[in-house]
Amino acid sequence: MSPAIEVEHLTRRFGAFTAVNDVSFSVGAGEIFGYLGANGAGKSTTIRMLCGLLKPTGGHARVAGHDVGHEPERVKERIGYMSQRFSLYLDLTVRANLEFFAAAYGAHGRELERRIGEMLERMQLTPVQDEVTGSLPGGMQQRVALASAVLHRPRIVFLDEPTAGVDPVQRRSFWALIRELAAGGTTVFVTTHYMDEAEYCARIGIMVDGRLVALDTPEGLKRTHAPGRVLEVRGPNLAPALDALRGEPGVLDVSRFGAGATVRVDPERLSGEALGRWLRARGVDPLELEESAPTLDDVFLALTAGAQRGED
Amino acid sequence: MDSTYAKRTVGRILAMAGKEVLHIRRDVRTLYLALAMPVLLLVLFGFGISFDVDHLDLAVVDQDRTALSRELVRQVTASEEFVLAWEGTSPEEAIRELRRGHAVAVMVLPHGFSEDVARGAGQVQLLMDGADGNTATQALAKAQALVDVAGRRFAGATLPAPPLEVRVRTLFNPNGRSALFLVPGLAAYLLAIVAVLITALTVAREWERGSMEQLFATPVGRLEIVVGKLLPYLGIGLLQVLLVLTVGAWLFDVPVRGSLVALGLGALLFLVGMLGQGLLISVITRNQVVATQVATMSSMLPSMLLSGFIFPIENLPPPLRVISLLIPARHFVTTLRGVLLRGNGLDVLWPQLVALTLFAALMLTLATRRFQRRLD
Repeated sequence: MSPAIEVEHLTRRFGAFTAVNDVSFSVGAGEIFGYLGANGAGKSTTIRMLCGLLKPTGGHARVAGHDVGHEPERVKERIGYMSQRFSLYLDLTVRANLEFFAAAYGAHGRELERRIGEMLERMQLTPVQDEVTGSLPGGMQQRVALASAVLHRPRIVFLDEPTAGVDPVQRRSFWALIRELAAGGTTVFVTTHYMDEAEYCARIGIMVDGRLVALDTPEGLKRTHAPGRVLEVRGPNLAPALDALRGEPGVLDVSRFGAGATVRVDPERLSGEALGRWLRARGVDPLELEESAPTLDDVFLALTAGAQRGED
Repeated sequence: MDSTYAKRTVGRILAMAGKEVLHIRRDVRTLYLALAMPVLLLVLFGFGISFDVDHLDLAVVDQDRTALSRELVRQVTASEEFVLAWEGTSPEEAIRELRRGHAVAVMVLPHGFSEDVARGAGQVQLLMDGADGNTATQALAKAQALVDVAGRRFAGATLPAPPLEVRVRTLFNPNGRSALFLVPGLAAYLLAIVAVLITALTVAREWERGSMEQLFATPVGRLEIVVGKLLPYLGIGLLQVLLVLTVGAWLFDVPVRGSLVALGLGALLFLVGMLGQGLLISVITRNQVVATQVATMSSMLPSMLLSGFIFPIENLPPPLRVISLLIPARHFVTTLRGVLLRGNGLDVLWPQLVALTLFAALMLTLATRRFQRRLD
């Protein structure tokens, strides 16, 4: 079976600015593919090109077997797209929104009614179907948006930061829906900047300044880009000591945030206790020193080192 | 293949139109704006604006004080046109009244007026306030006519009829009523504003909310979006035309003398052009506030100034007269006046309808083409 999404040297320039720079990857059918990056890294531009909304300036991409540059209309019929701001009609009821999108994708009559009933049930929206969408809480609006994007049973669905601004409980139940979709054979292409969500993805691509800098499973990414253990340090007057810490044997990476820092170490060469001793020897008494496995946050920090360090 | 394609297209257009109807039902203010505003403005303007000149204040200086002079004064002031505002014997005092604005005209009947009349050489002096040119011209003409009639009556049958006489008869609007002339212009003006404004607003709203991007990601084509979105407003617009004409007929006795086909066709083409203009504005601005301003300016000014609604086209300087040919409101005003007052049909009005068609086609082409470009 051919891959659901095939991207080769995809490039998009806006004047002198290159938003997406020579990106290549492919996504298999039924896979949950995560696309990570800071704001402005080129995630949304990539998604828009893959959905046939934006013409690539270089390279090409095939989605559901059709070239996005040459046959965008074919692509649109076969995919679902949930844009960054859930672009529902907030003044219409939940049902009216679903009916409109179902009709826009060509469903009508009894088939339309059946699918809407099914979808309302599946997204747990049946009790609010006649409510005005704008009066619903954010988590529910987001489920309505997902419902209208998958109502026509697309083979591939693109979700652009679907959980932005939604509380953690709602995010978790939303991800349960996404996994259910994928289990049913739908390919899910999702962008996010929540690293905990990225752990749910089968594979992850990381965008930095328009380039795809890494692409692997979450475990693979951690192994390659954030090996070792992570020590979280909190305490007063850390700053001068942390600067000296960089370059010590066994220290792989130091990133500061707020009043603390994460220090990634090679556990063979430097243990938590050793780091504590080292800090105390320099007059810093850490209030807290916690050891954990590296997360995708650490991967992301390692990859976006430099200008972006400390921003998030 | 072709018939399923057509069926799908119609289905998607209907989906768009249905959604738009729901928006309108949700936001009743749009409907109020569309239906109540033209009627309200029509009533205000129809009663408020009048170019008719009557009940003018007249100061009379009667130095003759004979039965004949008094008879002339009675005849002139008995008409609707003039009201006796002041009477005396001193021309200086009368002019002071004129200067103070208590009178717009002074009629002086000099000493010996009745003897002069008996000799066939009677003279009446009229002093006009020229500060308001339009009023002065009309008052002068009316006073002349009245004095003329009175003079002829005094002469009785003793004088032979003048060898040459001009008899003026105004056709189509014999009483020279402003309302008859204004209602068609007003209808075009109001329809233009409301149609352009509403479309500009609703389409700009989709851009602002981001739902336009969602629409573009569906298989609904640009032309389908445009047609589906405009259909309900076209319906509202035609309803407005009916409403305005009904109110015009009911309140101002505006007749419908000509071809209803020409009227309906003209209204339809004019509305499509206006909706297209609104669409083009919103596609370019993509912002409700800017779209509102551009829509108001671009529809209000030309359809008021260059349509013949208030200022006759013939009075425009030649360059503006040429530009006015590009203004759909001008052609629609001509169509309306032609059908309502002159009793014209397609045989006379086809050039106007062709002009309206061209404008509508141009607007829709430009708007759809601007629309074709993807998001960037």
